[in-house]
Amino acid sequence: MTAPLVEVHDLVVRYKSRGLFAAPFKPAVNGVTLSLPAGSTLGLVGESGSGKSSLLRALLRLVPVESGTISLGGEDWLAIDGPALRRARHSIGFVAQNPFLSLSPRLTIAQILAEPLLARGDKPGAEMKDRIALLLSRCGLPANFLPLRASELSGGQAQRVSIARALALSPRLLVLDEPTSALDVSVQAQILNLLLDLKADSGLSMLFVTHNLKVVAHLAEQLMVMRQGSVVEVGATERVMADPAQAYTRELIGFGRRR
Amino acid sequence: MRCATVKGASAVTLLEIQGLSVTIPSALGPVQAVRSIDLCIARGEIHGLIGESGCGKTMTGMALLGLTPAYAQVAARVIEFDGVDISNSAADLRGRRIALISQDPAAALNPVLTIGRQMDDVLRTHSSNSKAHRAATAVALLAATGLADAPQLMKRYPHQLSGGMQQRVVIAQALATGADFLIADEPTTALDVTVGAQVLALLRKLVVDRGLTVLMITHDMDVVAAVCDRATVLYAGLSVETGPASAILTHPRHPYAAALLAALPDAAPRGQRLAAIGGQIPPSTETISGCAFSPRCPAVMALCHTMSPPARGAGNHRWLCHLAQCAP
Ligand SMILES: Nc1ncnc2c1ncn2[C@@H]1O[C@H](COP(=O)(O)OP(=O)(O)OP(=O)(O)O)[C@@H](O)[C@H]1O
Ligand SMILES: Nc1ncnc2c1ncn2[C@@H]1O[C@H](COP(=O)(O)OP(=O)(O)O)[C@@H](O)[C@H]1O
Ligand code: SF4
Ligand SMILES: [Mg+2]
Ligand SMILES: [Mg+2]
Repeated sequence: MTAPLVEVHDLVVRYKSRGLFAAPFKPAVNGVTLSLPAGSTLGLVGESGSGKSSLLRALLRLVPVESGTISLGGEDWLAIDGPALRRARHSIGFVAQNPFLSLSPRLTIAQILAEPLLARGDKPGAEMKDRIALLLSRCGLPANFLPLRASELSGGQAQRVSIARALALSPRLLVLDEPTSALDVSVQAQILNLLLDLKADSGLSMLFVTHNLKVVAHLAEQLMVMRQGSVVEVGATERVMADPAQAYTRELIGFGRRR
Repeated sequence: MRCATVKGASAVTLLEIQGLSVTIPSALGPVQAVRSIDLCIARGEIHGLIGESGCGKTMTGMALLGLTPAYAQVAARVIEFDGVDISNSAADLRGRRIALISQDPAAALNPVLTIGRQMDDVLRTHSSNSKAHRAATAVALLAATGLADAPQLMKRYPHQLSGGMQQRVVIAQALATGADFLIADEPTTALDVTVGAQVLALLRKLVVDRGLTVLMITHDMDVVAAVCDRATVLYAGLSVETGPASAILTHPRHPYAAALLAALPDAAPRGQRLAAIGGQIPPSTETISGCAFSPRCPAVMALCHTMSPPARGAGNHRWLCHLAQCAP
């Protein structure tokens, strides 16, 4: 058994309500525990508002955590702060749903991919150029895309660039929030194939959030179902798909069965 | 006019389209949003209009609603609704016989008016009934869409409702117009899977209870599997296959339909590469020679590049392809 890369224990995330006398919000994440072995993928599904993105935001240290622990590679991830946190953020790459919203339309693909490297303090030059071209080709796009702008790309091409950017700093974990739901079926298949290749070639660990159970079941070793901030079902993908414990999971699996 | 259906040849055709095209002028030359679409929809069926983005699904719906942009050119050999040629009068049927249910219910509803007021606005233009009578009708229609506590709901504003409830209100409004043909353009895309499934079940129930007919525009094969009786597959503004939904989903005949199904994540065992379709849809500004799918088709032959494919199949299952047998 591989040592877990990510361990989350009893995590609670609660957004601050405005105003002194306003009633506090219910927790968006309410005592979530999970464990992700290195090199594996966890699929996280659940209805809108169930707390999936909030859990990701807590992992990415974008929202404060009320209680609970997160460890990344055995280290206390929540204890890291200040400039150390800025450096440590490189350990997690993030891919969002809509590539056109997350990629700046003014920049060329080369500039988009250089950004995280420059922010880390790498020197611009031939070596960086090579690195960028290699990143892009790993994600299935040839170097002649480098001078283009995001607005000139198809949805699938733009999502490949988002994935390349997320991998620029060689993260230990890739977090994806609905990475294929803005894409057509044929393009979704290309992106899922790319993620499968990255998994096989470089042992990428992933946390993959989606509404579409079938999409993530294709990649993930483990599935986790959330409802109203809590985990209602978790287990090996085969087990959950074959024998879902929750009616809600059964509904997700049963929808659209070919007759 | 009768079109073959799943239930047998006896079903009555509600809508018959042959050779529909929609052309929109643009700086890059004419955009052929719809190149040539045939559709035959029987009364009482849910007919899926399937295809990837940009293949002309929405424009086909807009043409039927008379809602294409003023500068667009709409042409067809045949557009008949309930036996009447509507090529010049599609807009007259909108809000009388034909209604639209769009992807984004929040955008379809007016945020500053109560649900009751918005229902009444529709009912008032369609009847001369008294206010009290209209209010009772509105409550009954909201209840028919499965909304609990309809009288209370009449006083609420759209933002106080969930997406699924908003979509039910939009459906109630469509019923209030008296329409018997609903064009539902990706009606569940903005909803959670389970909520979307409930909305689809509602549409199915309304089809049965009220004799409605639905054109279900979708890119989602799961939606087709869940509710459609028959379906038509579009590619690059062309209808390339039409038939019973179950046949298209399990034994597609056109290579594009087959490729689309093979690309679904549950078509391959977990962890195995999916059969992605290489390449892209031809741009809508491009003139197509031969078969539109030929640059991407795994079964392409020399003649596919130059000759338009012939119609194949018979009865209620037809497709356009040079292959005499079925898809690879
Ligand atoms: N910035 C915020 N301030 C207050 N409450 C928030 C904020 N962001 C999210 N919430 C609330 O937290 C809960 C969980 O939201 P979250 O965005 O994590 O859901 P999700 O599972 O990602 O949903 P979706 O599938 O719609 O993306 C919801 O009740 C939501 O309303
Ligand atoms: N108002 C418009 N002006 C110019 N081109 C348009 C317009 N609306 C749609 N198109 C083009 O027509 C084609 C079909 O569009 P659409 O019917 O919206 O496809 P779908 O609904 O299948 O995604 C696309 O190439 C699209 O870019
Ligand atoms: S006509 Fe030729 S290219 Fe077109 S779908 Fe059939 S086999 Fe493929
Ligand atoms: Mg979210
Ligand atoms: Mg559309």
